[in-house]
Amino acid sequence: MERSNFASEIPIHEIPGGIHPTEHKTRSNQAAIRTLPLAGELIINLKGQAGNRSIPVVEVGDKVLKGQMIAECDGIFSSYQHAPTSGTVTAIEDRTIAHPSGLSDRCIVIQPDGEDQWRELSPQTNIDSLDREAMLARIFESGIVGLGGASFPSHVKLKRENGIHTLIINAAECEPYITCDDKLLQEHAEEVLKGTEIISKLYADINIVIGIEDNKPAAIDALAAARESLSLSNIKIAVVPTKYPSGGEKQLIQLLTGKEVPHGKLPADLGLVMHNVGTCFAIYEAFYQGKPLIQRLVTLTGDACQKPGNYWVPFGTPVEHLITQTDAQSPKHIIMGGPMMGFELPGPNVGIVKATNCIIMSAEGELGISEPALPCIRCGACMDACPASLLPQQLFWHAQADEFDKTEEYDLFDCIECGACAYVCPSHIPLVQYYRYAKSTIRNNKIEKTKAEKARQRHEARQERLERVKREKAEKHRKAAEARKKAAEAAGKKDEKKAAVQAALARVQAKKKAQQADDKDDSASGEES
Amino acid sequence: MTKTTQLPGKNHKGLCMKALSSPYDKKTNSVTQMMLWVVGATLPGVFALVYFFGIGVIANIMIACTTALATESLILRLRQRPVAPILWDGSAFVTAWLLALALPPLLPWWMTVLGTAFAIVFAKHVYGGLGNNIFNPAMVGYVLLLISFPLEMTTWLPPQELAANPVGVADTISIIFSGQASNAATVDMLKQGVDGYTMATPLDHIKTQLAQGYRLPEAESAPIIEGLSGVGWQWVNLTFLLGGLALILKKVIGWQIPLSVLLGMGIVSLPLFFANSDQYLFPMFHGFAGATMLGAFFIATDPVTASTTPKGRWIFGLGIGAITILIRTFGGYPDAIAFAVLLMNMAVPMIDYYTKTRTYGHANKAKELR
Repeated sequence: MERSNFASEIPIHEIPGGIHPTEHKTRSNQAAIRTLPLAGELIINLKGQAGNRSIPVVEVGDKVLKGQMIAECDGIFSSYQHAPTSGTVTAIEDRTIAHPSGLSDRCIVIQPDGEDQWRELSPQTNIDSLDREAMLARIFESGIVGLGGASFPSHVKLKRENGIHTLIINAAECEPYITCDDKLLQEHAEEVLKGTEIISKLYADINIVIGIEDNKPAAIDALAAARESLSLSNIKIAVVPTKYPSGGEKQLIQLLTGKEVPHGKLPADLGLVMHNVGTCFAIYEAFYQGKPLIQRLVTLTGDACQKPGNYWVPFGTPVEHLITQTDAQSPKHIIMGGPMMGFELPGPNVGIVKATNCIIMSAEGELGISEPALPCIRCGACMDACPASLLPQQLFWHAQADEFDKTEEYDLFDCIECGACAYVCPSHIPLVQYYRYAKSTIRNNKIEKTKAEKARQRHEARQERLERVKREKAEKHRKAAEARKKAAEAAGKKDEKKAAVQAALARVQAKKKAQQADDKDDSASGEES
Repeated sequence: MTKTTQLPGKNHKGLCMKALSSPYDKKTNSVTQMMLWVVGATLPGVFALVYFFGIGVIANIMIACTTALATESLILRLRQRPVAPILWDGSAFVTAWLLALALPPLLPWWMTVLGTAFAIVFAKHVYGGLGNNIFNPAMVGYVLLLISFPLEMTTWLPPQELAANPVGVADTISIIFSGQASNAATVDMLKQGVDGYTMATPLDHIKTQLAQGYRLPEAESAPIIEGLSGVGWQWVNLTFLLGGLALILKKVIGWQIPLSVLLGMGIVSLPLFFANSDQYLFPMFHGFAGATMLGAFFIATDPVTASTTPKGRWIFGLGIGAITILIRTFGGYPDAIAFAVLLMNMAVPMIDYYTKTRTYGHANKAKELR
C-alpha cells in the first residue's frame, strides 16, 4: 500500500515485535462514506459497552424519537442508550448478542417508523462557557464510549484531571481490513479535531498528539489541512511506521513517548489519556449538534462483500441486514472486528454495538481459520513477534499442560491478545486461544477460591456459633443443675431444721399432752377429793 | 470440583486441530515449508560432499530417509497418532537427512539404519514426538554410532582427487551393502591416498600427528591439508555456510545461534593459538574443518532442542562452540559438534529459565526470579 511521506512532528520510538500482515485496506477505503436503508428492526444490546448493563426506561409499545434516551446508566461505570431512529419499542427481551459464544442478553427491540424523526436537540457551541462538570455530564448523557474497540465509557476515562499532561488521539488503525478511522479522517477531519479540542478543554494545560500509521496518506493530509484551517497548531501529528499492533493503547504510548505503562498501572499514571478518532467525532456531535451516540462508522468488507466500504450504521442494525444490503454472496465466515482480534459471529441476526468497527464477510479460503495445528517446535517466531516481549512459546507450553501458576510467572496477564504470535506460528497453533483459556481458568479459579474461602468462613462461623450455643446450653444446664443441687442441698438442710423443729414441736406437744393428762388427773382427783 | 472453561478444539491427543478464535488472518508460514527450506539449503553442501567423497553420501541419505519415514510411520501408528499430517511436517525427514550428511560415505547400510531408527524412536518419540524431545535426534543417532562403531564412523574416504583407488558408483553401493567392491577391494584399500598413507579427515589427521609428538607445522604439511582447512573439507564447509546464510536471509533460522557457535569456537581457540601455535590450530582451521558449518547452521539451530529465549540462544551457541574446541583440542575425539550440541541440549531448560525476557511494563526479570 501507498505510504505517506509526511514527516512525523514528534520523534517516534521503537516497539519490539509486531508483524506486517497483508493490509486488505484498499478494498474498503476507496468509496466515500455511505448510509444504508434502515433495517426492519433494531436490536439494541443493553450491555453494548464495558461495564454494567443499562437499565431500560421505556416499555414495550412506547413510541420513541430518534436520539431519545431509552436506557439509563446502572452506576457510573455504564452508559446511556438512545434510540437510533424513531419508531416503536416492540420488545424488551433476551436476544443473541455480539459475542463469540452466541450468548443471549437483554435487548431493546425497536421497529422504525421510517420517519427518522429527531427529538429536540440542544447543541452547545459555546464550549468555553461550560465548566468541567457540565462538559463531562454532556459526554456522559450522550452515551459516549470509546469507539476504538473496547467501548470503555468515555466520561470515566476523562474524569481524572490531576497530572494529565498529554492527550493522544489514536488514529493508528493497525488491524488489516479496517478503514473506518481512515475514512472518518479523510471526510471529517475538521469535526474530529473540533472534538479533540473539546477534550483538551477538560484539562488546564495539555499537549495533543495524533498518532497515525503511515499507510493512511490521505487521512494524514486531511488532518494537516483541517489543522491549518482551524488554526489548531498546538496539535502534533505523529506518523508511525505501519506495523501491527502499533494501534494498541500500550504500543502507541510506547511509540510516541518511549515509555511503558507499568504493570498494573494505567496510562493516566504516566500523565497520558488516549482517545480514538471516532470518539472525538462523537464528542464533537454531542456538543456542536447535540446528538447522542446512536450510530457509528462501520467497515463492511471481505471478499464476499460486493459493496465494500464504510457506512454509517445505526446501533442495533442486524448484521444480516448489512449482508443483504451489500449483496454479500453467501459469506463463509462473518467476523466482527478485524481479522486479528475480532471474533466470528455465531449467526447473522446480531445487532451492531458501539464497539463494532468492522464486519468481514469472508469468501471461501480467504481466511486461515481451519488450518490444522501441529506440535510447537519452539522456533521462537512468536517471541520475535510479541509486542509485549513475552515468551509465547513458554506460555503455550504451560497453558497446554494446565500449569497455570507457571503461566502467571511468565506474565500471562500482560498478553494483550493481539494475535501476532499465532499469525507467525509455523505450526498454526491457535496460541491466543490457549492464553484466553488459561486466563479465564485462572480468573474462574480465583473466583472459586474466594467463594470457597467465603464458604469456609461461613462454615467456620456456623460451626463456632453451634459450638457456642452448645457451650452456652451446657453452661446453662450446668448452672441449672448446680442451682438445683444447691436448692436440693438447701432443701436437705431445711428438712433437718424442719425435722428438728417438728421434733421440738412434737416434744412440746407431747409435753403439753402429758401436762394436760396430769391436769385432768389433777382435776379428776380434785373432783374426787 | 472447580468448573473451568474447556479449551475448544483441544483433544486428548494434545493436538489442537482447529483455531476457533482470532486471529483469523491467513498464516504465511508453515513447519513443512521451514523443513523444506532446511533440506534445500543443504544442497550445495551435499553437492560438495558428493563431489569430494562420492556417491556414498547420496546412498546414506536415501537409506536414512527411508528408515526415518518408515520408523516414524510405525511409531505414530503404535502411538495411535494421525500418521499423514505428522509425516508431512517433514521433521523426521530432516533428522535423517542431517544425520546422513554427518556419516562417512561408505558406512555399512545397517549402521545407517540403526542410527536413524534410534534417533527417531529413542531421541524423539520416547520423549513424546516432535517438539517434546530434549536432545537433537540426529546427533543422538550420530553419537550412538560413533561410540558403538568408532572405526567405521571415523573411516572417511580420501577426497577423490587424492584417492589411490577412486570409487565408482557400483562399487560404492556394493561396499555399503556387502562390505566389498566388485573387484574385491575392501574399504581399507579404498581408504588409501596416493601417497600410500591411510587418509583420515583433516581433524583426525592433525589429532593423530599431534598425539605422535609431531608439531603442528609438520602435521599440516600432509597433502590432505590445504587452504582454509583441508582438501574438500574447506569446500564442504563453505557450501554449508552458504546454505546457512540463505536460511538466515529467508528467516528460517535466526542468525544468533550460528554466529554464537562460531564466536564460541573463536573465543576458546584464539587464545590457545596465540599461546602455542605449535600445538593449537588457528581458529579459521576449526571454522572450516569437520562438521563446523553444518553444525553451526543446521544442527545447533534445531529449534526444538535449542534455547528459545533471546539471551539463551547466545549462551547456547557460545557453549556449543567452546565445548567443541575443548573436546577437539583436549578430548579423545577429532570432531565434537555432536557431543557439544547434546551437552548444551541438556542445559537448555536451565538456560531458558534464567534468561526470561523483560515483559512490557515490568521491571527487570532477573530480580523477580526465585
